[in-house]
Amino acid sequence: MNGAHFVVKALQQQGVKQVFGYPGGAIMPVYDALYDCGVDHLLCRHEQGAAMAAIGYARSTGGVGVCIATSGPGATNLITGLADALLDSVPIVAITGQVASPLIGTDAFQEVDVLGMSLSCTKHSFMVQRAEDLGSVIAQAFEVARSGRPGPVLVDIPKDIQLAAIEHACITHEVSEPNSPELTDITAARELLSQAKKPLLYVGGGVTLAHAEAELRDFLAKTKMPSMTTLKGIGTIAPDQYAFLGMVGMHGTKAANFAVQEADLLVVAGARFDDRVTGKLDEFAVNAKVIHLDIDAAELGKLRKADVAIAADLKQVLPQLAMPLDIDDWQQHTIAMRQEYHWRYDHPGEAIYAPLLLKQLSDMAPKNTVVACDVGQHQMWVAQHIEFDSPRDHLSSSGLGTMGFGVPAAVGAQVARPHDTVIAVSGDGSFMMNVQELGTIKRRKLPVKILLIDNQRLGMVRQWQQLFFEGRYSETILTDNPDFVALAAAFDIPGETIVVKEQVQPALERMLNSKGAYILHVAISEEENVWPLVPPGAANDKMMEEC
Amino acid sequence: MLHHLTVTAQHSPELLERVLRVMRHRGFSVQTMQMNLDSELQQVELQVALESERAIALLTAQLSKLIGVTSVAVSERAVEPKLAVV
Ligand SMILES: Cc1ncc(C[n+]2csc(CCOP(=O)(O)OP(=O)(O)O)c2C)c(N)n1
Ligand SMILES: [Mg+2]
Repeated sequence: MNGAHFVVKALQQQGVKQVFGYPGGAIMPVYDALYDCGVDHLLCRHEQGAAMAAIGYARSTGGVGVCIATSGPGATNLITGLADALLDSVPIVAITGQVASPLIGTDAFQEVDVLGMSLSCTKHSFMVQRAEDLGSVIAQAFEVARSGRPGPVLVDIPKDIQLAAIEHACITHEVSEPNSPELTDITAARELLSQAKKPLLYVGGGVTLAHAEAELRDFLAKTKMPSMTTLKGIGTIAPDQYAFLGMVGMHGTKAANFAVQEADLLVVAGARFDDRVTGKLDEFAVNAKVIHLDIDAAELGKLRKADVAIAADLKQVLPQLAMPLDIDDWQQHTIAMRQEYHWRYDHPGEAIYAPLLLKQLSDMAPKNTVVACDVGQHQMWVAQHIEFDSPRDHLSSSGLGTMGFGVPAAVGAQVARPHDTVIAVSGDGSFMMNVQELGTIKRRKLPVKILLIDNQRLGMVRQWQQLFFEGRYSETILTDNPDFVALAAAFDIPGETIVVKEQVQPALERMLNSKGAYILHVAISEEENVWPLVPPGAANDKMMEEC
Repeated sequence: MLHHLTVTAQHSPELLERVLRVMRHRGFSVQTMQMNLDSELQQVELQVALESERAIALLTAQLSKLIGVTSVAVSERAVEPKLAVV
């Protein structure tokens, strides 16, 4: 057995059945080992696509995603995917080939200092220096990726180590237990909860990362506390949950953004006061005390001081804080806000109104449908108008906001969940950023549905140019887009274009009922904007709305 | 404001880069620094004086998360290194 076979064996020991990648010189021994080993490898058509497919795989299942690339350009192409996984705390393991050890540092062909490059875009990274370390390094990589606050881990393996003979090395690594919450902190938090008249739960992606959705729902059932989520928290709370106010922040609901300014206590569960959530930080929830719960101690007090900060596993903490509260008036008040500010879908004219289309899709899509978004206006409309029962069904590049995420993430999710409907909701700008992944869909005959919302613009940037740059539309006009349906057809993906409202319902039906992949190309007006909008530098209750 | 930190960690070739990168990125500028390695080349001890307007706790929390870092201590003024210079 050589090092490369050993790598594959170590992956199998971690339960890995699926990997995504792209071969090249320095990783050839690993590809040779993959040839007949039983681990399924899906060839993506760009390493960024492979990284994002691994993210889609991980996010839609709760497992660890794996991607593989060669040295030099293969590894540099992975970087955006690693950064995306870092900002959204997604457990993925990336394996890269490196030039042979004696050549490292000689500017050899396709040599890049991948370990150096990885420092700012991974949770941790390794360069394997001895063949006998391979087993423990890979075991450690998986452990680091999935433990505590999850994140991407890179393992760089020089070619000579992939080729080295290995007798028998054991694959073990010690597992560390997460901290248990301190009793005094729990008591202090319960004290704050019992005093609060207007408590509000602020839920981030960390709840799902902790596999604590059930504990959170139980906490809500006991406390009946009004609640809101971040972009990554969407789906954690059932859409019809009592006093659930939707998403908070820049494109959040009016109910959530007003309520947070009124609250006297914020219970922050697995969230991190991101600037897209808080608006002007020192005017965010000014009346509120804060209980901050997160497994990552570095998030506590990073941007907002917490009155009680608990660095522990949410699965353990939430049940200890679930208690009945006496907050009837506040509950009624927030429910009234939820009713008053519900979304409206009346829209004049023939042209397709994207929020309404997404609401129709939400009503029609089968249970457990996964939606993978790209980045821009369409992404915010998905967050606002599609209802999700689980955060694993909503894949949205939240922290990094990576255009090009949607299609490859949908590929990863479809491979992971072959029996569920998977829809990539993309924009005409984003779609072109990883359009080569249509080749991956074709190769594996994946039944991924693509809903392409085409405003012939880099719409989100155009919106800001209209509102904050005096309508100077610098480089955001895409009237020279390709014929998207013809482009998809070149990859054997059938589809159609729709332009008016009455076409929407039957076209969505055709898309959802199609056995294989499908593209529904939707032409919308370039003037449609995302509302409400908390303008940059403003407090959350200073939302702009359509005039 | 000047902060004095002692960081101990398991040695690895890129350990110093990892630690320094976090210091820079989180808004701390290194003023003086001394690194010592134990005789088995296993343990690193770093004495660093850092300038920043930011609270030092923000940095220590980030450094403590690094895999391989075993302790991060803040002191009022520079302290004597525990590891002898090899
Ligand atoms: C890789 C990358 N480059 C640039 C941006 C900046 N950006 C954010 S949204 C956006 C426009 C996206 O256009 P499109 O995909 O058509 O979506 P729309 O806003 O029109 O719905 C741009 C350029 C980004 N988020 N990611
Ligand atoms: Mg667009």
